[in-house]
Amino acid sequence: MRRNESSRGRGISLVWRAAGILMASSLVLMASDNAPERVPSNVSWTAETVAAASSGDAFRGMLLAKRCEHCHGSEGFSAEAATPNLAGLDKLSIWKELQDFRSHKRMSRAMGPIAESLSARDVADVVAYYSKVPAFADPQDNRSFPQIMPDSKHAGIASHLIAFGDGERGIPPCQACHGPVAYRPGVPPLANQNADYVLSQLEAFASGRRENDINMPMRTISILLTDDERHALAEYYGSGLGLQPGSAK
Amino acid sequence: MNWRKLRTFVLTVLVLCLIPAMRYNQIDVPLLHYFAGSREVDPLSLHLAGEFVENNLGTEQNADGSVTVRMIAQQYLFVPHCVVVPAGVPVHLRITSADAVHALAINGTDYNVKVLPGTISEAQLQFSNPGEYKTVCREFCGAGHYAMRSEVKVVPREQFPALQPGERGNCAAQ
Repeated sequence: MRRNESSRGRGISLVWRAAGILMASSLVLMASDNAPERVPSNVSWTAETVAAASSGDAFRGMLLAKRCEHCHGSEGFSAEAATPNLAGLDKLSIWKELQDFRSHKRMSRAMGPIAESLSARDVADVVAYYSKVPAFADPQDNRSFPQIMPDSKHAGIASHLIAFGDGERGIPPCQACHGPVAYRPGVPPLANQNADYVLSQLEAFASGRRENDINMPMRTISILLTDDERHALAEYYGSGLGLQPGSAK
Repeated sequence: MNWRKLRTFVLTVLVLCLIPAMRYNQIDVPLLHYFAGSREVDPLSLHLAGEFVENNLGTEQNADGSVTVRMIAQQYLFVPHCVVVPAGVPVHLRITSADAVHALAINGTDYNVKVLPGTISEAQLQFSNPGEYKTVCREFCGAGHYAMRSEVKVVPREQFPALQPGERGNCAAQ
């Protein structure tokens, strides 16, 4: 109030305004000096993000997930090998991928529009449902579980990479992040993933078509793998052996 | 004042000086942050903004001929996986962790840089001989710790590529 009445006050506000314009223009100049920052994903695993991703209602999610069944299969096991299985996946990993589809950090012709059509609450609910769907068969189950067994040579390569990695080349063991030994927030468990999907994602990371991994772990590792090793890993995970990396030696 | 009293006085002063000297690294002086620049960084949002975004990692050419190398250590990788630097020039290393405590040890040299989440570790390196130096993580960081290795490629100064201001040197497989 007083500022508007006294001329001195008005003078100060003018000075502040001029200073603001100067600062803003210098910021613009500074920004134009550097290359634009490339952000792989807008998700950062703060406590609030984890709480928001875990706050879903699984029953409402079950009703919403009827839309997903056409491609991802009933109860989370897809009949098409190129489409990922969602049953029993970690909440945070599906949540992160849906956020990245929404923000176009991960490009997909199918999932982009679908993820955009969901509200924030819908995403949390669907995620809560799929994380609770059992990933293992019971006697009444008629879902399409993975069947194909890898050839023995590939099984040896894959189980060694999953359990031990390759220290000489700096490849860490898959199971240290993708389970069952340890999990990290936002990293999908691969125990029951489809072979074609795993292979396509490894190749997408290696070629740079997919670049939404935070701090570039998968883009770094998938380049270090040979083509044969990528196929071996995909077959191994695709046959449901991912939980027992030592068993197929 | 006899010499015993003098000795007691000198020793007391020495001990009183040594206590802050021991605690030097634990004392937080805000004025020093102002002059030296803050080394604090949020480990969860390195990829969103600031110094350690993806396209700022790697080797940067400075105006005075030295280079600055920025890296992220995370479970269980150093990013970028291979760093290229010229021989015989000062290398300013700036590295931070995205999760656990790591240590970047460069084989064949005596460099061992402790990397803590939330802090930027700085080190001044210099390589006299060109070659491929293997680096390892020398602080147990989890299940994949033993496979956390990468490489520093030291090339002769004339073979080091001329980097543009926005460009970062990197020899990780493309």
